[in-house]
Amino acid sequence: MVKSFDDPNLVSIRGVSKRYGDLVAVDDVSLEICPGEIFALLGPNGAGKTTLIGCVTGLVADFEGEISVAGYDVKRDYRVTRRLIGLVPQELNYDAFFTVRQGLEFQGGYYGEWPSRAKVDGLLEAFSLGDKAEANSRWLSGGMKRRLMICKALMHDPVMLFLDEPTAGVDVELRDELWQYVRDLRDRGTTILLTTHYIEEAQKLADRVGIINRGRLVRVDARERLMREFGQRHVDVKLAGPVDKALLGKFEGLELSVIGDRVLRLVFHEQAEGEVRAAVTPLERLLKGLLEEEVGIEAIEGGQSSLEVIFRQLVQSDSREAK
Amino acid sequence: MSEEGRAPAAAAAAARVRIAELSERAQRSNYRGSWALFYKEILRFWRIAGQTVVSPVLTTMLYFLVFGFSLGARLQEIDGVPYIDFLVPGLVMLALISNAYMNSAFSLFITKIQGTIVDILVTPLSPLQILLGYVGAAIARAMLIGTIIWVVAMLMGASAWHNPLIIFVFMLLTALAFALLGLIVAILGRDFDHINLLPSFVIMPLTFLGGVFYSIAMLPSPWDRVSLFNPVLYMVNGLRYGMTGTSDVPIEQGLVLLVLLNVVFGVGAVWLLRSGKNLRE
Repeated sequence: MVKSFDDPNLVSIRGVSKRYGDLVAVDDVSLEICPGEIFALLGPNGAGKTTLIGCVTGLVADFEGEISVAGYDVKRDYRVTRRLIGLVPQELNYDAFFTVRQGLEFQGGYYGEWPSRAKVDGLLEAFSLGDKAEANSRWLSGGMKRRLMICKALMHDPVMLFLDEPTAGVDVELRDELWQYVRDLRDRGTTILLTTHYIEEAQKLADRVGIINRGRLVRVDARERLMREFGQRHVDVKLAGPVDKALLGKFEGLELSVIGDRVLRLVFHEQAEGEVRAAVTPLERLLKGLLEEEVGIEAIEGGQSSLEVIFRQLVQSDSREAK
Repeated sequence: MSEEGRAPAAAAAAARVRIAELSERAQRSNYRGSWALFYKEILRFWRIAGQTVVSPVLTTMLYFLVFGFSLGARLQEIDGVPYIDFLVPGLVMLALISNAYMNSAFSLFITKIQGTIVDILVTPLSPLQILLGYVGAAIARAMLIGTIIWVVAMLMGASAWHNPLIIFVFMLLTALAFALLGLIVAILGRDFDHINLLPSFVIMPLTFLGGVFYSIAMLPSPWDRVSLFNPVLYMVNGLRYGMTGTSDVPIEQGLVLLVLLNVVFGVGAVWLLRSGKNLRE
């Protein structure tokens, strides 16, 4: 019979704090990561993201509180927890003595299993580094070094992967490939925690989002719930002529405002995935009404409050509270 | 479609199977991981063997040629041993000590500077396993260089083959001690100056004054007695006994000293690696 891990949480962080003198880098953080999820940890520079990841992965040895991975304590049972975890650190690093292939072989070897040639080749191909296998890692570009670091973190097939700003310096095309690989990895059973500055990508990828500011977890929630609570969409309809105020009466119940004298702004809330679609959406009602009245429409532009806006709102309100 | 904030059920199920399977495998001991680190460290110095092996051998052989052949011919025998034979253990020890120290000190320190130390710190390697990888490779390099010098000296006419077991034990224990010391300095050091400080101001003077080129019996009082406080003297003389059968000091004292030094340095290095000082935050 196939064994299965029963605990609801893969990683359990309980009351973790880390101080550097007077600076509190991580302040009483508690967080659970569930098997198979993609969790995005967002926060401004210096918020404590890297320190928190460091506490789990063993780079920060001395912290208050408790962290367990698959039920094993990261301090006491580090031999087990570090076998389960992979880390792509934020700082670019490379070993100038060795080729790309050797670097990956050693990294796999540290975990007790010397990797096969096919495994190394497979990973390099997946990250578009196939033709660099025999090159010295010193000569790779920044983006290539970043991808090599991801390969290194995957050499021992971890079940929990920490990606600390993994797309910094990776160009847009490769970034999309990389995120696709992250999705595939998750589908094959790897749990992922990522921090990123490209919040839009967290928006596309993450099941849950945690927002951290000044060492404190300000909010942890399902991405959809955050979007619904804070997320708004708007559509600006630019008319051919000035807005006739009498026209507005026709659209009672819609959140409609006039910008300048020719633009109508309709605001509506983000429709969550799976939410039942209204018979007539506010946008349909507005456009239909305008066409019926034979109002000339010059242009239509849409916009939404992204996770980035939500993130800023939460961080700003947290910072205000602190003051 | 997934429930809000939850991983897709298939991914969660796959994750749970993988976690259970890997948690079980993760219980195994990881000495093969230590072997991988050792192998990497061997390849590291071998890749630049010109600097790390050939150069120290050539430098030491120059000492041998200058002091042994040109000056040595004018020197009398020491304790009935021709000067050229007397010189071999001193020169072997000179190269052995500096290369054991340099290999572990520079290798670990460079990984700190490059940031690749992170790749090792996140692995399940225990402090002792990390130590074995670095120290093992440093010993291998030092023993290789020491052995080449010894063999080449004998091919050039020196006779230094009194007791191979004692030769091996003194070479191994000395290489271990200085490899451990190098590791400690690399952990504590914050820039390259710190790594060079000890060889320039402590190890080299103690080695040169430790009877590499002379017997302390040739020193005027009180320097012959002062020399007895130099630990390197006991290492050089232990090896000299193994190679020529003569020594200024009892070799038992050298053995005890080496064992003590290794225990102190070994405990210190493991403690530093375990505490994470200067490596982990």
